[in-house]
Amino acid sequence: MTVSRREFLKGAGVTGLASAVTAAGAAETEAQTGPRVVGPGDVPVALMVNGKRLELRIEPRVTLLDALRNRADLTGNKRVCDRGACGACTMIVDGRTVYSCSTLAIEVQGKQIRTVDGLSTGAALHPVQQAFCDVDALMCGFCTPGFVVATVALLEKHPNATPAQMRKGLDGNICRCGTFVRILEAANTAKAKGVARG
Amino acid sequence: MADQQPGGRGGQSGAAAQPASTRKYTWPEKPVLLGTAVKRLDGPDKVTGRARYSYDISRPGMTYGKIVRSPYPHARVVSVDLSAAEKAPGVKAALAWKDPGAQVMYQGDPVAAVAADTEERANDAARLIRVQYEQLPHLNSVERAMAADAPAVFPGGNVRDGAKDETGSLEEGFAKAAHVVEATYSTHVITHVCLETHGCVCEWDGDKLTAWISTQAVIQSAQQFAQGLKIPQSNVHCITQYMGGGFGSKFGPDAQGLICAKLAQQAKAPVKLMLDRKEEHLDTGNRPSATAHIRAGVTADGTLTAFDAQSWGTGGAGQPSGFPLPYIYNFPNRKRTHKDVYINAGPQRAMRAPGHPQGCFLTEILMDELADRVKMDPVEFRVKNLPPRAPNAMWADYFAMGAKRFGWDKRHPTGDQTPGPIQTGMGVSAHRWGGAGGGSQARVDIMSDGSVVVKCGTQDIGTGTRTIVAMVAAETFGLPVSGVKPEIGDSTLPFSGGSGGSTTAASVTPAIRVTSLKALDELFAKVAPTLGASVEDLVAEGGRIHVKGNSSKGLAWKDACKLIGTEPISVNAKWEQGLSGSGTSGVQFAEATVDVETGIVKVTRILAIQDCGMVVDKLTAEHQALGGVIAAVNFALFEDRLLDRVTGQMVNPNMEWYLLAGMSDVPKIDIVLNNMPERGVIGIGEPPTVSTASAIANAVRNATGVTIRGLPLHPHKILAAIEQEKAGGTN
Repeated sequence: MTVSRREFLKGAGVTGLASAVTAAGAAETEAQTGPRVVGPGDVPVALMVNGKRLELRIEPRVTLLDALRNRADLTGNKRVCDRGACGACTMIVDGRTVYSCSTLAIEVQGKQIRTVDGLSTGAALHPVQQAFCDVDALMCGFCTPGFVVATVALLEKHPNATPAQMRKGLDGNICRCGTFVRILEAANTAKAKGVARG
Repeated sequence: MADQQPGGRGGQSGAAAQPASTRKYTWPEKPVLLGTAVKRLDGPDKVTGRARYSYDISRPGMTYGKIVRSPYPHARVVSVDLSAAEKAPGVKAALAWKDPGAQVMYQGDPVAAVAADTEERANDAARLIRVQYEQLPHLNSVERAMAADAPAVFPGGNVRDGAKDETGSLEEGFAKAAHVVEATYSTHVITHVCLETHGCVCEWDGDKLTAWISTQAVIQSAQQFAQGLKIPQSNVHCITQYMGGGFGSKFGPDAQGLICAKLAQQAKAPVKLMLDRKEEHLDTGNRPSATAHIRAGVTADGTLTAFDAQSWGTGGAGQPSGFPLPYIYNFPNRKRTHKDVYINAGPQRAMRAPGHPQGCFLTEILMDELADRVKMDPVEFRVKNLPPRAPNAMWADYFAMGAKRFGWDKRHPTGDQTPGPIQTGMGVSAHRWGGAGGGSQARVDIMSDGSVVVKCGTQDIGTGTRTIVAMVAAETFGLPVSGVKPEIGDSTLPFSGGSGGSTTAASVTPAIRVTSLKALDELFAKVAPTLGASVEDLVAEGGRIHVKGNSSKGLAWKDACKLIGTEPISVNAKWEQGLSGSGTSGVQFAEATVDVETGIVKVTRILAIQDCGMVVDKLTAEHQALGGVIAAVNFALFEDRLLDRVTGQMVNPNMEWYLLAGMSDVPKIDIVLNNMPERGVIGIGEPPTVSTASAIANAVRNATGVTIRGLPLHPHKILAAIEQEKAGGTN
């Protein structure tokens, strides 16, 4: 079964898509109105993740986070709230941060996806990662990947972010150990050193 | 800093002359690493996503487990039908956890489970498990459980007598009092919200189980798997290299761990079973509520005379709710009776300083009310009524130090008179915590190439244990931290206890110190003949072993280790007295603003003065204090487990309606650690989270002139209290 992304997504909002793909017996049928329906079984999904093409066969309902964690063993980004409230799953898609737990994998085909796993090159840490280590901006580390990605995205967009912009830019992430003070310090440290556009 | 090379002083000298049985082990007088800021060794693994948590483990052929839980707070299981689920696509195993006739005592009580080849299919199959329930009367609030006409839900009573305490004579105490305050104070139930939910990956190899489990107690988890599954502990291997937060709630496999192991047995394949966010709120513990009706007396000159309290609280289904009361201050005549109230809600578990934030709040709000009655400054009033100063009771010093540092002299009397809706205030609070060491073993291997491996069956729950294990050994051997490889987080390593009660550092670091010193003695014995020196004259410092006072008469560490030969030095030893202590004290100051039109409280500044004995890693110790303060900002202002008053179900089992602070909610936090190396290592995980909420509530009282006697300080409560004040007063 093949369906182009353009064809698939044409005119479909997330909600419409989700309800369409779960409709019983709707596999591979053309709905009378709206887009062509895929699923509920596995469909091919191709993703560009950290500069590499990943070809998966997954159900259309699988989120970007679960596709990468469970099917591609890219487990850097974490699943915490699983409904877009805590930011641990934050990834960068075409330059914008998204909650990957609330983004369907099938929706982001053809887009450039960046996760925490792809930020460092070999042993060299990304300046934001280095700053997190230097000022101890982490404890248990479970929120850390999301915060690192959010900080990278923030500084790429606002290399001279003000303290207020930094707080606002990192407000979409939750930490339970209480590393916020040091994360802000790390963001400042990384800002001072400069973060190149990814 | 992790790579810093220790300088030329403060090394370890050989003490082998003393027989082992009488040898007294000590910390170095002039440490090179201990007490400095050393970066977390696993930082790079965590910031890159390379660190594999239990949640991240993937095994060949792995399947996914899902638990079916009771939607009702109290019911009898009539039947569990697995047949539809067993036939569902991808399903590999299904089991009933509760037998017909068994009762479920809270929403989220596990009933059945299933495993399938994908997570999505496991979730689908779980929905096909048909459970019939007979609903039974439930108790969804303390008030309901305590009502005279409440149904008898819990065998042994819904309300049971707890702690009783009586000292002196209340009659005499109140006779001396010039003022009496009588009011009811309370704190609410919050959940742990570990970001990595509870759970594990279980894999069988014949009759041997390996479990990658998110836990604060890797060895006790192996023990509990063995007990729960009725297999020898020698057949269980638990691994916890990284774990995403526990806060007191993760001390074993629990039901989900045993279910996971049984599913894996049935599926003949590894099973990953990590709870979802809702399950995490419902069934992995919470901090019990606390309420106290208190009458307290004070003389005209501000001396406390009497304290009479009836207290109660709920730890949910079948768990007690104790807490210390009164807290810290010296009421010479006092009486307290406590009742544990059982309701149909998830059972409590230890949560960061169990009991203390509650007892602290109930006492500290009262203290400000009493101070106002006698028109005394709250700091002065507290200092007047403290127990005697002692190493574990340093409050008077901290109050004085903190008042100066915080600018307490700028605090206005109760009620900010500044025009406009934003009112500012300051508050203060004091706390204590035990913490103590014991019962930890360790093993040190020194290889002939100079490699050092330090092994201890402890675990790093985010506190930095892995790093301090390496620091202590490196300090002892005169090596950089990078010269030592710590191995922890595995149940096959030498015994160490669970990470709770702020006891880990005080248990683990002495074990590492003693074991390292013994290993060093063996190395000295190998090196001494070559150097033509006696063992007692040798020191290890600056990456060398040399004769005391003559660094040229020595060998580089690697060269010295070449003398070890083919059989490495391997020493097993354990914790000994003298390197750790017990008992800490702390004081916190808070500044907050209140918008009296919206009821919104913002915390602007916190000062936390804390001791923890000997500071091991300044960087991570300070971070524990920062984290404790932020956790208590959440307790004070945001989080609240809400149960529906009709159904008894949790209204906010998620992270959008169960509120936690974000970056913009975090105040400026000033941490002052009072390093007391002479007391040995004690621990700091819990004490810094005790006072914050009380100090904030007192700051709100100082800002508004209105006393809010219950947490959380949600806007509607602030507005209601302000209205009540206008209508006749809260004071």
